[in-house]
Formats: sequence, C-alpha cells, structure tokens
Amino acid sequence: MAENAKQAAEGMDARWYRTLGSGIWAFLNSLKLTIFILIALAATSIFGTAIEQNAPLQKYIAEYGETWGNLIIYTNLDNMYYSWWFRGLILFLAVNIVVCTLERFPPKWKSLLEHKQERFDPKLIEKFAHHETLSIGASPEAVRDRLLQVLRKKRFGTVSSGGGDEFFIYAWKGRIGRLGSDMTHISLLLILLGALVGSVYGYRDSIFMNVGNTVKFSNESFMLRLDKFWIDYYDTGHIRQYNSLLTIIEDGKEVMQKQIWVNEPLDYKGLKFYQANYGLSWNKLEEAQLTFRHKVKEGTEVSFPVKWNTATDVPNSKYSVKVIGYTADFAYDEEDNLVYSKSENPNNPAIKIEVYEGEKLVSSPWLFLNYPGIFPAIPDSDHDFVYTGHKGTWFSGLQYSKDPGTNIVWVGSAVMGIGFIMAFFIYHRRVWIHIKGGGQSTEMKIGGTINKNTFAFERDIREITESVSSN
Amino acid sequence: MILSLVFFTFAFIFYILTTTAYAGYWVFRKKWLGQIATAMACIALGATTMVLISRAGESGHGPFSNLWESMVLFIWATNAGYLLMEYRYKFKAIGAIVMSIVTLAMLSASLLPYRFKDVEPLNPALQSKWKWMTSLLSRWDLQNYAIGWLDFHVVTTFIGYAAFAISFGLAILYLLKNRYESRQQRVKLLEAIPDSKVLDEMSYRAIAWGFPFLAVGIVSGAIWANYAWGGYWSWDPKETWSLITWFIYAAYLHARVTRGWRGKRAAYLSILGFAAVVFLYWGVSFILPGLHAYA
Ligand code: HEM
Repeated sequence: MAENAKQAAEGMDARWYRTLGSGIWAFLNSLKLTIFILIALAATSIFGTAIEQNAPLQKYIAEYGETWGNLIIYTNLDNMYYSWWFRGLILFLAVNIVVCTLERFPPKWKSLLEHKQERFDPKLIEKFAHHETLSIGASPEAVRDRLLQVLRKKRFGTVSSGGGDEFFIYAWKGRIGRLGSDMTHISLLLILLGALVGSVYGYRDSIFMNVGNTVKFSNESFMLRLDKFWIDYYDTGHIRQYNSLLTIIEDGKEVMQKQIWVNEPLDYKGLKFYQANYGLSWNKLEEAQLTFRHKVKEGTEVSFPVKWNTATDVPNSKYSVKVIGYTADFAYDEEDNLVYSKSENPNNPAIKIEVYEGEKLVSSPWLFLNYPGIFPAIPDSDHDFVYTGHKGTWFSGLQYSKDPGTNIVWVGSAVMGIGFIMAFFIYHRRVWIHIKGGGQSTEMKIGGTINKNTFAFERDIREITESVSSN
Repeated sequence: MILSLVFFTFAFIFYILTTTAYAGYWVFRKKWLGQIATAMACIALGATTMVLISRAGESGHGPFSNLWESMVLFIWATNAGYLLMEYRYKFKAIGAIVMSIVTLAMLSASLLPYRFKDVEPLNPALQSKWKWMTSLLSRWDLQNYAIGWLDFHVVTTFIGYAAFAISFGLAILYLLKNRYESRQQRVKLLEAIPDSKVLDEMSYRAIAWGFPFLAVGIVSGAIWANYAWGGYWSWDPKETWSLITWFIYAAYLHARVTRGWRGKRAAYLSILGFAAVVFLYWGVSFILPGLHAYA
C-alpha cells in the first residue's frame, strides 16, 4: 500500500513537474510573447526619456511631489535602464530567443537540407496560391529542356525526373535566406553578451587635468600627462575644435604621444581617453601680475609679472617672490584648516605667494584680487605686495573608459548586418512543375511558394511561363 | 540670397504641383495626368538634390548639420524611394498620399525659425571625417570632400525614416481600402488604388527596407559615439527613442510571422511606428534634452 502510494505520489510529482516544465517551455516558445516583450521594452523605455535619470533623490520629490516622487524612486525609474526589472525584461527577451531558436532551428535546418522532391503528386501544385496550368504546342521533352534551361539561367537549383511523356521538375533558390532570421537573433545575443561583459568588466570616469599635470590610474600601470591644451577657431570666430596633447608614461619612459580632440580619442591598452570638456583652471595660473609698493610713500609702485612656481626677483628690492597657489573662488574651512575653491568660477580669486629675502623664506601670504592690501604681505615691513591681475591656464576635461565588451558588440552588429541581408533580400523560392504530354499539346502545371515578397514570385512565374509558351 | 533657399522655394512649388497632379490622377484616372505627376515628381527630386548640393557648397561640409538640412534629406529620400517604388510596382495613385506627406514636410521645414536653417560651420562634436578617406582623397587634393560618421549615420537613418513614411502612407491607404472592401462597397475614388492585400504587402516591403536601415543608423551612431562620447551607448533620449522605434518595427515583423497579425493590425502597428519616428525626429529634438545636436 505504502509502496503504491509513494509510487503514485512520485508519478504525480513527475507529471506535475513535466507539465509545468513544458508549460513554461511552451510559454517561452511563443512569438506572441516576443511581440509582448518588444512592445513592453518600447513602452517602458519611454519613462526613462521623460524622467530625468540619475538625479539626486530629493529632486524627484521636489519635482513630482511626495507620492509620485517616492513611487519613481521605489520603482527605480530614476535609473531605469539599469534597474532589475528592465534588465529582467531584456533577459526575458534573450531566453525567448534561445528557446525559439532551439525549438525551430533544427527542424528548419533539416527541411532545408532534405528539401528535394524528385517525385510528387501533381495535385499538390494546385494547392499553392500561385499556380497555373497551360498547354504548349511542343513535346514534353522539349518543354522540360526549355524549362530547365530557363530555371538554371535564373539561378535556380533543379532536379527532374520522369520519362516518356511525363516529367517532374522541382526547382529552388535562396534557401540561405531562411537562415537570416536566425543570424539576426544570434547577433542580438552577441550584442547583449557584449553589453554584459562591458557592464561587468568595464568602467568609465572623468578627470580634469591642468597643463603639465601627470596622473596615475589606480587599475593601470601607466601614467598620463597633459602637455598642452588649445582651441582652434574658424575664421568666423566659431569654435572649430578642442585639442589636448597627451603623453603616456610607462616604467618611467614616454611610450606614446597623441593629440586628441572631440571624435578622436587616445587608446592605450584598452583604456580610452576622450576630450570631453575644458575651461580656465580654478587651481592654477600661468602667471600673476603683482605690484610692489611702499606702504605710505606715493609713486613707488612697480608692477611686474610672476610666472607660476618660478622665483622672480622683485625690481629694485632685496626680495624675490614665487606664486605657489591659486583658487578661483576662495573659501576657508576652519575645521580642517583647508583652503578650497567654492566653484570653478573666479568669484573671489586669491593667490598664495612666497616672499624670499635671499634664500630665506620671509612669508607666504594669501593675496586677494578683490580686496587689495587687507592683509600685509610681509610682516613688519614698510613694503607690500598687491595682486592686480593674472593670466589663467586651461584645464582639459578628459573622460576615460574601458569596455572590453565593445568588440563583441561590433561583431554582433556585423553578424546582424549579414542576417538582415539574408532575411530581407534573399527570398526562398520553391517551384514544382509537372509536364504531361497528350496528343498534339503538352500540359504544364506550375506552382510554388516564396517565403516573402510575393511580387517577386509572381514575376518569376510569369517569366518562366512566358519563356515556354513563346516557343 | 542663399542659393539653397532659392532651390528650396522652387522645389516647394513643384511638390505642391506634384501632389495636385497625383490627386488629380487619383480622381480622374487619366493616364496623361499620371505621366505629368511622375514627371513633376522627378523635377521636384532634381530640385531637392540641388538644394542639398548647393547647401554642401555653401557650408563646406555634408548638408546634414541642422534640422532644416536634415528635413531636406528626409524629403529627398522619401521622394526617391517613392519613385523607385512607382517604377517597380507601377501604381501611381499611391503618389497622392506620399507626396502629401512630403509637401507637409516641406511646409514644416520652411516654417522653421531661421536659426535652424542657417549655414553653419560644424561644431567640434560633428567633425568626424574618416581618416582613411581623407588620406585617400588627399592624393588628388580632394580631401575636403571626404565624408565621415556624421554623413553616414544621418543618411542611413534618414533612408530608414523615408521608408517608414512610405509604409505609413500605405498603411493609411490600406485601412481606407480595406474598410470599403470588407463592406463589399464599391467606391469610385478608391478604384485607382490597388487591392488591400497588395497595399499590405507593399507596406511590409517598405518596412523591410526601413528596419535594416534604421539598424545601420543606430549601429553607426554607436560606433561614432564610441569615438565621440566615450562609449557606444549612453541612453541619450535620441538613442533610446531610436531603439523604441526599432522595437515597434521588430514587433511588426514578428507579428507578420504569426499569420493572424497581417492586414489591419499590421497597419496600426505601422502607423504607431511612424508616430514614434516623428517623435524620434522632432519630439526629442524640441522636448527632451540630450547629447544630440539636433534631429
Ligand atoms: C529585438 C529583438 C528581435 C529582433 C530585432 C528580431 C529580428 C528578426 C528579423 C529581422 C526577422 C526576419 C523577419 C522577416 O523575415 O520578415 C525575424 C524573424 C523571426 N523571429 Fe525575431 N527578432 C527579435 C526577437 C525575437 C525573439 C525573442 C524571438 C523568439 C521567439 C524571435 C523569433 C523569430 C521567428 C520565429 C522569426 C521567423 C523565422 C523565420 O522566418 O524563419 N525573434 N526576427
């Protein structure tokens, strides 16, 4: 009893799993599902273009109100293309493709290989949407020879059989076109694979570099130096191009130098550097303009330029100065005792200089362009330095990224191109012809199918029949 | 006066005449009217070609760098595509609807504010000439005529748009014709246009051209973005909308494979697809901010 019950339960279980399994399989094997997923992808993608992506969370609350803002955040609509449900939808599409291909490709392949029909029931011909019967005043053999000649000239493959006054011809063309959709589907899987590889192993970031800076990248063995940045203009004054001259340094050696611009990145060991941005540096100058003066005596001012980080003798004095710091929008953090720039804009330009008397450092004050002379530059002295202007230097904004999946995506795209040509422009045509002689005339039945583009097929049939009836 | 604008005006007049002639052919079914219509369409195509050529001469680069120029390209491709179709299938009455779409496009291009029509040098992001082509042509001192990703990307995309526009026109005609066919009603006006089954098939054939061209447009855009923006895909609204459009047409193609979805539902999908194209082209440019310079 117990044995039986157990067996029965197992049987039930197995059947239950099997039906569930085949149910899921049938569900995934459905083209209706494909249409549904495609439409769902299209429809949901719209949200991502209407709702700003990756903004700070508070912004959604402020813009859409408490309820809707929270809903957006909760459903990941603020970063939807990377959300679990959007990726799930794409994965669903991929599984759908795999199942459809597994299910349909093998029988299709087999029928494409074993398609030749040397003998067939002539009644079959009348079942085709495109069929015709005509009688011709020539011998069956002559009709057959003429047909085979025409078909071959039209690049059809042919087999024929029969003898005496009855012949069968089967002709085909463009079988390979049937594989176009499979190529397309495989190419999509490749592209998705490339995207997956990229999202796992790739990264993307950006840096701002002042001319002359060298940076090291944490994951890479080499360093990058910005040698120069400049802008080209058209004669009309419009900006033509932004350029950076970059040098790659590896093991202390300069291994590569390249001028990059928008549309022309530098690629070194799979890491690519793009010209993305530029501007006037907020933490470096080319030179500052200083005035040296006596605090009370009038008419003693001398003005002179000081290059960045270069000791310069002050005319008619025992001092020399050096500009070692700059901030475009001066701010001071009392807790950390740090000077920083509040923004990139020169709202409150300040420079830090070092004043030397011979070799001896006398002082290192900050000077402010907007507040000349509020702090004395040299303590206990009758003389003072005033900061009166400067020449800025450019920074270059570079984006850099590494994406080892990119090449897989390109291969996928190329396969897709081939798949499209096969799917849309190579039509699979199959023609059945039955020739039967009887008395003076020969009766010819012709019919067949094309997998798409019925116009082309109608033309084919017309041309074939005309070629024999015009004899 | 800028020469390209003169040609544009000339073309505009001819598009209006062409549309009228095709409509006349539709109503009166006189052979000579049809021949005149086709001839006018050819003249209009010539004039549109001249707009593009003269604009290329004026700006010193391919005429694809602002909305107005791209509209002219769209009009050119739609007209050329239509004439090819007419030549192959010999159905002229369809011209009335396609040329109406083209004339509407001409009208909207002409109403664009001046800043969308101006002759402008290429901004930095649009300078994408192919180096191999530049160096090849420089042997004969023709390097200024080299083309690049901008040209390739825009032209392939717009051939796609044009095919979708034609398919849209055919889908509308299909719905019209099908409506009266299914009621077994004979409407004189509709006799000039082919059977609904033929219209359905032609609408599909147009998409069979548009779909791969849009795909090539998307892929070439991705290749270009990989040079210009630091990655082949960044979910910029234009990119996303092109994908949305592409998905709709992919749904259309699969709908046809599952037999039940030919005819009416296919026609609705084609119309939906073209609505997406219009949004992709104009809506995104004007409503959604993004990396794309225009169009
Ligand atoms: C973005 C996704 C997809 C694209 C772009 C795509 C593309 C294509 C193309 C271009 C064709 C040829 C259509 C024609 O000849 O008119 C096709 C056919 C087909 N597709 Fe897809 N496909 C996609 C997804 C899928 C999925 C998920 C399935 C899984 C069920 C599928 C199943 C089929 C089938 C069964 C055919 C017809 C095959 C044949 O004619 O032999 N497709 N597809």
